[in-house]
Amino acid sequence: MPALQFDHLRKAYAATVAVDDVTFEVRPGEVFGLLGPNGAGKTTLIRMLIDIIAPDDGRILLDGRPIAPADRDRIGYLPEERGLYRKEKVIDILIYFGMLKGLARREALVRSRAWLERLGLPEVAGRRADSLSKGMQQKVQIAGTLLSGPEILVMDEPFSGLDPLNTVLVKDLLRESRDAGALVILSTHQMPMVEELCDRVAMIDHGRLVLYGDLEEIRRRFGESAVLVGTSADLRGLPPVASAEPQGRLCRVVLRDGARPSDLMAILQERRIPVEHFEVARMPVEEIFVRTVRARGPAPAPQTVAAPAGMGRRA
Amino acid sequence: MSKVGVVIAREFLSTVRRRSYLIVTLGMPFFLGTYLALVGLLPAYFMARAGRSQKPVGVVDLARVVRLGPATDREREGAGPGGEAQDILGRLAPASARAKGLTALLEEVDAPVEFVALPAKEEALKRLRAGDLQRVYLVPADYLERGAIEIYRTDSSAFSVSNAHIERALVRLLRRSLSEGRVPPEIRERLDRPIDELASASYLVRADGGVEPLEDAMRIARMAIPGVFAIVLVLSLMTSASYLLQGVVEEKESRVIEVILSSVRPKDLLFGKLIGLGAAGLLQLAVWVSVGSFATSLLAAAAMAILDWKLFLFCLLFFVGGFLMMGSLMTGTGALGSSARESQQFSAIWTVSLVIPPLVTWMLIMDEPNSWMARALGWFPLTGPLTMMIRLGTGKVPLWDVVVALLCLAAGVYVAIRGAAALFRLGLLMYGKRPTLAEIARQLRHA
Repeated sequence: MPALQFDHLRKAYAATVAVDDVTFEVRPGEVFGLLGPNGAGKTTLIRMLIDIIAPDDGRILLDGRPIAPADRDRIGYLPEERGLYRKEKVIDILIYFGMLKGLARREALVRSRAWLERLGLPEVAGRRADSLSKGMQQKVQIAGTLLSGPEILVMDEPFSGLDPLNTVLVKDLLRESRDAGALVILSTHQMPMVEELCDRVAMIDHGRLVLYGDLEEIRRRFGESAVLVGTSADLRGLPPVASAEPQGRLCRVVLRDGARPSDLMAILQERRIPVEHFEVARMPVEEIFVRTVRARGPAPAPQTVAAPAGMGRRA
Repeated sequence: MSKVGVVIAREFLSTVRRRSYLIVTLGMPFFLGTYLALVGLLPAYFMARAGRSQKPVGVVDLARVVRLGPATDREREGAGPGGEAQDILGRLAPASARAKGLTALLEEVDAPVEFVALPAKEEALKRLRAGDLQRVYLVPADYLERGAIEIYRTDSSAFSVSNAHIERALVRLLRRSLSEGRVPPEIRERLDRPIDELASASYLVRADGGVEPLEDAMRIARMAIPGVFAIVLVLSLMTSASYLLQGVVEEKESRVIEVILSSVRPKDLLFGKLIGLGAAGLLQLAVWVSVGSFATSLLAAAAMAILDWKLFLFCLLFFVGGFLMMGSLMTGTGALGSSARESQQFSAIWTVSLVIPPLVTWMLIMDEPNSWMARALGWFPLTGPLTMMIRLGTGKVPLWDVVVALLCLAAGVYVAIRGAAALFRLGLLMYGKRPTLAEIARQLRHA
């Protein structure tokens, strides 16, 4: 059961600091969401994990010891953009990927066929990669990532180009891997997927860790500041209200910082505004994402909900 | 199989199975053959035909010295240019391997000259004007005193192959005529050919006093082994480099590189590519060489490998070292380019640095193989492989010198592979933009 710790990682390029003192932990048997806007430093973080680039400072620990080149075979990586040899046969590409992870040729062939079967693509084995649709290529890529049975799965936008049916299929695969004890890191901009799949998340912005912890806990914290109200009145302009927008038959009210749902309730009663429905809303992860990024100044301190155990700063 | 092995096998197989590779590999000998035939053999053929249809040469012999007997009427040139070429060909290649057509053609260029005796100058010039003769030689009455002759011709070109050819034939005719009846026949033969090159021999007197036969074939082969290695090194670098760069750019553009690098260390990937694609390049070269007329010199070199295995071994080591160093440098810098063309331009720097210095100085190196310049170029890893091949060909380079050059090259290969892997890692992950010099310097420091 692997556990992965990112310990005060830092990586700077010529002009920018891509990853700046990032510390978090990924636990075995969980789907971990790695979130952040474009250019936040997620890819750099992933590349340091798979040892394509070396950190300037800090370290990555796997099972408590620094990650080594030999650990590459335990990691399955699905890059954000499709990486297949365009002019080669799907089966040859998969066998090559498998052998690079240490599988024997025969074993790689057997597993490649099995995975293509599982993903509903047994007929493409002999076809050239560039003759496949984007979704098919994505599934082939996923097969290539999973076929060595990695303990650590790093999936960068695994759902891109997939139709709803295939999205369900891939979600099931990720859950299966997690249930089998693998550690799954999911990097995506599709927040509904994060809500559905992730147990815990880390959010990076401008290279810094701005949000980290249990997803439910984070939501509860942010959720306190949104309320669904059933009313025909216009709630904009009330003191605790930051914004109010219709959501179905209800009105979704986002409260100002520091305001609580009870403050809104008191105002409504005070002004005798008729209310048919009053519900404290679970804030969508998307909203948390947008708020966190927007609210962030140039260099804020990370908001850590649950500090990772045993990961104090090195002396 | 180790990961390097997996990369080698994949790179080799995927390259040789490519249609473009097959077309180039199998089509090139055909294309080159046709090209050579058009450029080289056709003019030779027409020259030969022109030679065969030559009109006779008139001789007006006022000195009464020329004897145009039946035997000398059609003079056969024994040691003309064609004869020498045949001679060398005969030495280099076993008779069975000799190209029959080429030999036949050389014989035709070597066509005999027909002389016709004419009694008077007036009649000779009349026939020359009428186009019956291609030229007229007048041997004046005082020829024996002065040695002067008069030449009459209808064209004025001073230099031509046929000109020299006819004049040599006339000299031979005069020599035979002058000696006939005055000199014993066995001496006449020697007058005709004072030195029979084929029957002659050279000896090498060594510093320790020993004497060993030095055959021409041996001398030629001494240069042939390094020569063949040098040519194969340059050609294989050029062919392999294009496959290397193609592969790198393709992986970079298709983003496969990220998947590969999550499984293999950049150094191993670079090394695997180098060996796999290098093997594909060498295979291509081997096909061309064995199909081409090159085969003869290769056969000679192979034969000499048995005679001079030390020379062969050294050349092989310089070849392998040179290939690894140049190939890794080319790939490392090639990975920095953002397009195939840019990559090719970057990597061309190395070919130039390998080839140009020895190319400019090879005459000097051969004359003075142990001069400070020859030594410096030989020890410097970039210019070393080709320079050392030239130096080794002279047979005058001491063993310690060769060992130093090999050690320098080994160090160069080590540094080149480390540096190239760092550049490779940096270049491969940068899409659409080139790294800055500062980034390159930083990456190299880390290597």
